[in-house]
Amino acid sequence: MNPSALQFHVLGPVAFVSIGSLAVLLGEVFLSRKVDPGDKEVAEARIGSLLAAISTVSLLLAIYAAGFAFFHGTSAAFNPGNPMLSLDPLSSFAMMLVGVGALLSVWLSITYLPALHINHGEYYALLLLATAGMFVMISSVNMIAVFMGLELMSIPIYALAGFNRGNLRSNESGLKYFIIGTFASAILLYGMALLYGATGHTDFAGIRAAFDPSSPLAVAGLVLVVVGFAFKISSVPFHQWTPDVYEGAPTSVTAFMSVTVKTSAFVILLRFLTLALPEVGDDLNAVFWVLAALSMVVGNFMAIIQTNVKRLLAYSSIAHAGYLLVGFVAGTEEARAAVLFYLMIYMFMNLGAFGVVVALAQGGRESDRIDDFAGLAQRRPGLAALMTLFMLALAGIPGTAGFMGKFYIFSAAVQAGYIWLAILGVLTSVVSVYYYLRVPVAMYMSDDTEEEPAEASSSELVVLGLCALAVIYFGLFPNHDPLFDALRLLDLAGTAIAQVP
Amino acid sequence: MVPIEHVTALSAALFTIGVIGVLVRRNLIVILMSVELMLNAVNLAFVGFNRVWAGTTEQPLLDGHVFVLMVITVAAAEVAVGLGIVIALVRNRDSVNIEDVSILRW
Repeated sequence: MNPSALQFHVLGPVAFVSIGSLAVLLGEVFLSRKVDPGDKEVAEARIGSLLAAISTVSLLLAIYAAGFAFFHGTSAAFNPGNPMLSLDPLSSFAMMLVGVGALLSVWLSITYLPALHINHGEYYALLLLATAGMFVMISSVNMIAVFMGLELMSIPIYALAGFNRGNLRSNESGLKYFIIGTFASAILLYGMALLYGATGHTDFAGIRAAFDPSSPLAVAGLVLVVVGFAFKISSVPFHQWTPDVYEGAPTSVTAFMSVTVKTSAFVILLRFLTLALPEVGDDLNAVFWVLAALSMVVGNFMAIIQTNVKRLLAYSSIAHAGYLLVGFVAGTEEARAAVLFYLMIYMFMNLGAFGVVVALAQGGRESDRIDDFAGLAQRRPGLAALMTLFMLALAGIPGTAGFMGKFYIFSAAVQAGYIWLAILGVLTSVVSVYYYLRVPVAMYMSDDTEEEPAEASSSELVVLGLCALAVIYFGLFPNHDPLFDALRLLDLAGTAIAQVP
Repeated sequence: MVPIEHVTALSAALFTIGVIGVLVRRNLIVILMSVELMLNAVNLAFVGFNRVWAGTTEQPLLDGHVFVLMVITVAAAEVAVGLGIVIALVRNRDSVNIEDVSILRW
């Protein structure tokens, strides 16, 4: 190995985020030593904002580094002789997505944590560590790096899901996520072991060269790897943990993991399927067909009977995993670009919807039942309008970005010949309109509640505003941009996909 | 030399015991142990397969061994967080039985 051949800039985004996380941890220790017990609450709020500012800076640097690499078309591996991490258009694009998702979640947390009386500094450190893990996972081209990234992502999120230590629901959420998560990792790992046994390689290129579809060992390994990933993207029938974990975890954590974990898991699955497998043909496609169809049907129908907004959004996220898998089944380059586009749109819609739930938390409790939204339009017309917009976008009403995302995926599926799957997708989206609209109906048509709902803080308003702007703007101009020439999203996604080596 | 089939069979058996343990047992600590058993079955498989793909004496290939080291490290971190979560639960609930953890359903 030649040290001068190492490409250190590949580590840029990961390094910025990890250093930021350590700075937050140390900062918390040094700052809270001086806290006077008299004004503990004020001091904690101040420390919290400072730590959030550090996280913001490190995430912005990471996004900048990833964006720089993306727009310069960088394609480099850290150690070209034995590539583990590779910074190519797909990984830098996905890093920007995950980075923005993490940044918006940090901003959502600034006033949410004090409202729930859980304003501890390690929150931001854990969030940044999980982001670093996602960056590693997204950019890996070797199963060892995939596993390390996956665990570096998952372990902090187990802790984050159980972050509200005194709350039984949060305990339960963390525990369930931990057990299911480690179980899924072990299955994935066993699949990797079998793939290694069958091919003798852990790097994607080596596996691709040596993969033999007639060897039972290789096929068993592939199946276990796909099952392990299916747990992470919460596709039916591996979805049972999702509603429980999403409902119990603090809402800012749910917002964070629902968008970023999904994005990273889908991107690494895409990378694995394109780089590590030769054309295995229709069998694997049939598996994804079934997963996609089941996820869309079960996710959308189970969401109908929910009475809790977070749980409703959890089932909706299962359904959205189904829509994304439709793009995998289609498998063409347009379909994959549509998947990336949809992940981007989904991030803004979902963060926005969870953001409204975050904004309504006050006095140590959440307002996450649909009943809590009753009559919100009279008390907080702005929040109610924003929530309606995000719900319409998630349902895929034309004029919002959600419609364009679904349109590109389904039209790619039709072009690839999967007409029935596209029809199923459209029909289940129609079902989804019913349950998404239950929230606006409660807000606009029920009498208002006795309780005074919380006021959204400025940081929350920034996040909600940005998400709303993105949802409307990309709904009207998904691929031609009257204001900035660079924001042609579908083309950008296409660039990211096309240059996967 | 032990044939690779034996190693694979042993690792598959251990993995299956682990899976059954996670699915059947109700005690959180036993579930944690079962997950560890699954990870160790994976380690065994990796070490066994590395003997098949050992390379030459001049240029040994160590992918499987390196993977095992990573898995051991990660498993330690995982258990630390897992026990932390269990302790938080025991403080609030005074129980390590998973059936007592079921407020969230449907």
